[in-house]
Amino acid sequence: MSTREQRERIELLQGTLDLLILRTLRLGPAHGHAIAKAIEFRSDDVLQVEQGSLYPALHRLIKRGWISVQDGTSENNRRAKFYRLTARGRRQLDVETSKWQKLAGAIARILKPAEQGGES
Amino acid sequence: MIRRKRMMEDLDQDIRDHLEMETQDNIERGMSPEEARYAALRKFGNVTRVKEETREVWTFVWLEQLFQDVRFGLRMLRKSPGFTAVAVLTLALGIGANTAIFSIVNSVLLRPLAYREAQQLYLVREIIPELSRTYPSLPANLPNFRVWQRECHSFAEVAIVMSTGAMLTGYGEAEDINGGLASANLFDVLGIMPELGRTFLPQEDTPGKDHVVMLTNSFWRDRFQGDPKIVGRSITLDHQPFQVVGILPASFRFPKGDQFSASTGFPLRADYFKPLGLDPAQFSPLGEFDYAAIARLKPETSARQALAELDVIQARIAKDAKQGLGLRAEIIPLESAVVGTARRGLLLLLAGVGAVLLIVCLNLANLLLVRAPGRLREAGIRTALGASRARLARQLVTESALLAILGGVLGIGLAYFGLRWLVAVAPANLPRMDEVHVDARVLWFTVFISMLTGILFGALPAWRVAHAEPQQALKAGAVTITEGRPARRLRESLIGFEVGVGTLLLIVAGLLTTSMVRLLGVDKGFSTEHVLAANITLPPWSYTKFAQKQEFYENVLARVRALPGVKSAGWISRLPLQGEEKVDNIYVAGQLTPSSQASVANYRYVSPGYFESMGILLRRGRLIEPADRDRNVALISESVAKKVWPGENPLGKQFYPGSDEKTLAEVIGVVADIRTVALDEPPLMMVYLPIGCARPWSGSYSSLVVRAAVAPSALASAVRGAIQSVDSGVPIRHLEPMSEIVSESVGVRRFQMGLASLFAIFALLLAALGIYGVVGYSVARRRQELGIRMALGAQGSALRTLILLHGMSPVVVGWASGVLAALVAGRVIRGLLFGVSAQDPLTIASVTFVVLVTAALACYIPARRAMKVDPMVALRYE
Repeated sequence: MSTREQRERIELLQGTLDLLILRTLRLGPAHGHAIAKAIEFRSDDVLQVEQGSLYPALHRLIKRGWISVQDGTSENNRRAKFYRLTARGRRQLDVETSKWQKLAGAIARILKPAEQGGES
Repeated sequence: MIRRKRMMEDLDQDIRDHLEMETQDNIERGMSPEEARYAALRKFGNVTRVKEETREVWTFVWLEQLFQDVRFGLRMLRKSPGFTAVAVLTLALGIGANTAIFSIVNSVLLRPLAYREAQQLYLVREIIPELSRTYPSLPANLPNFRVWQRECHSFAEVAIVMSTGAMLTGYGEAEDINGGLASANLFDVLGIMPELGRTFLPQEDTPGKDHVVMLTNSFWRDRFQGDPKIVGRSITLDHQPFQVVGILPASFRFPKGDQFSASTGFPLRADYFKPLGLDPAQFSPLGEFDYAAIARLKPETSARQALAELDVIQARIAKDAKQGLGLRAEIIPLESAVVGTARRGLLLLLAGVGAVLLIVCLNLANLLLVRAPGRLREAGIRTALGASRARLARQLVTESALLAILGGVLGIGLAYFGLRWLVAVAPANLPRMDEVHVDARVLWFTVFISMLTGILFGALPAWRVAHAEPQQALKAGAVTITEGRPARRLRESLIGFEVGVGTLLLIVAGLLTTSMVRLLGVDKGFSTEHVLAANITLPPWSYTKFAQKQEFYENVLARVRALPGVKSAGWISRLPLQGEEKVDNIYVAGQLTPSSQASVANYRYVSPGYFESMGILLRRGRLIEPADRDRNVALISESVAKKVWPGENPLGKQFYPGSDEKTLAEVIGVVADIRTVALDEPPLMMVYLPIGCARPWSGSYSSLVVRAAVAPSALASAVRGAIQSVDSGVPIRHLEPMSEIVSESVGVRRFQMGLASLFAIFALLLAALGIYGVVGYSVARRRQELGIRMALGAQGSALRTLILLHGMSPVVVGWASGVLAALVAGRVIRGLLFGVSAQDPLTIASVTFVVLVTAALACYIPARRAMKVDPMVALRYE
């Protein structure tokens, strides 16, 4: 990994990993490795997720009842743990998404005038 | 827990799968297998930390840390068994003593009386302003009670009760039993439901229909083996049949002794209750104040309103009576009437025992501080390894909490036995002692104070250790760390505080002890040495005529006087210090209406020989002689002479002894004043009438007083034999030396004094232990310095003085503040003292002596040990 590459990657905000996992699982059940890959792929490799940190987050979500876990078979015919979004998790995802959008919008509005001020 | 374990096993599998997939992906991208595996691991991050973090999702971290701390704490405590033993033992004593005293306070002061809505119950007493100097208030009188019952709208209901007694026969051995004579509604007013049968009916108050009784639960169990069939049957009291209509519940308690007032003194144990069956018409409105009146106020009525209404009624009664006397009332919450003066003493004991616990805490804080430098090194290492201060402090506080819990558990055990002992030694007239037991509130109290003490003595040392600088702690080794000035100040001020609290306790205990000594040494007016006293009751069925009773009294006197070793003997209707009997005015011949200076006197009936036997001195005139037995003569006490015939010769004066009296009595002599009802109350005015005079006195009970030439207890069986040889059917209640009666009368004081002294001595020993520990420690620390000084030629004695001075300086400061505190606190305890000022210089001086000598000793022992040190050894000591 080059230094340039690293500079462009962004550390995840606290709690956003949970949101990303829920969003990913909305597309269907997946095993841990697949979730990590999906997040990396869908964010065009901008978001840097240390793959290990996925697991405490997954367990946190299981404990809250937002996702469930079951045995399944992976694409290359291996036994693996599959994580699946629960009904509660689906509701939570909606709540979190709208919260996140509100937050992102608010931050964008705050940052915008400052940029303009800097230009003039 | 099971779920957590399964989840963790799954996690391991999951992570392995994940890494394999990532490795596989990397291989597919063209890496060598080894390279692929490292890349996968790098991307994954710290596997162990991931597992750790995931585990934390499933556990309560603080709980695990707590277990860790507890395990570590227990290990530390085991490592220093001496310290642990001292800590746990002193804590157990402190917490145990607090729990025991709190149990008493809880039962006596905090728990409501076991009556329905007890806060609505009030004791009603009457006030005759003209008599209020001698008798601030009086118990209630029967006709007035009837008026209140009819007219006082503030009362939902009012009942009266007085003590009574009877002889139970026809059911095993004859027995003198005690109880209450009550208006039929007493149990309704108190809200007591019978366990069996019923309570009294209203019509059972009237004469003729009153031959019914209710039995108390304990009497029913003891005497009738708890037989439920007794209800509805008849028992024989004083040779008359009484139907048992009900049994009271076991939880029922009735105030005992003089808790209501001296002249309605209730027996220590009530066996039965009987309805009044008295005709109010027989009683005058301004005499016979004999009853305890208990009123239940209407919920919407305040005590003040009730009193206002009652006073209006009282004023009218007084006006109608046309005796020129006023009449008012007072109402006292029943609870405070029952607890009475015991409250102050108990609170004092609670404060005392709390102070002891405080000293225990200070002492432990000090011991922990002394150990702190040893822990500093450990704390330094742990801080350097990344432990947070909060975590360190928490671990140390856990250790002290452990000590507190151990102490608390042991303390509850101690309290359990201590309480049994306290209840056993408590004087019988301390109110509600029979209700004392450990309940949930007491246990919560113990838990609370255990936790509090743990925090109290643990917080300071924990803070000290947690804030230690790791570099300093790790430098060179803990032993040589110089003790900072602030640390020493802290420990010295703790010592000062301990000594201060200890001094205060000792002064209070000393004042109580001095009071006791003064009280027992007070001029009683009678002497107790070589005096034996016996109370007897004549069975009413075999002694129906007054003459029979007289004959019995004279026969007993003749036999007792003939016993070898007996100097003299005499009868009196009631012994000193055993309550009051007849209390009435002295109506001087020629002034039929008693003026406002009318003198209320205590009347006693005596036989010849009483004064000689009791050692009461004759001041003027002569004593009662056998020939006086039915003459209208009287002896008066000095105070009567002074008050009624000031400046005159009382001999030969005549007066009516009481409001119902029709014949005059002539004063034939003046005797010394005596302490009549209590040693701490000034003498009352006394009138003594001959036992055989035809005054309205039943004569069915009396006390024999015998003066012996030998120890009185040696005569006891001979006297008992003499009484029984006259009539073996006469029960003898108490046969004991007069000194015992005096001693019983000050039982509550002795109880308070004993406990206060116990606490104070405990406090002193603890403080001494603290001083010893601190001085010993500082000597150990300064061994090197002392060695150098000695090597340079310092004299042993000079060094000893140095150490003593250092050790004693906080002691002196503490002592001085303790004395100051005692001077201030004097106001609070003044009411508990007798014959000694709260600032008694002698007591303070003795306490000063004891405190300073004990402290000096506690300093001297370690100082002397320091002097035995060989300078060479000390210098090498590291």
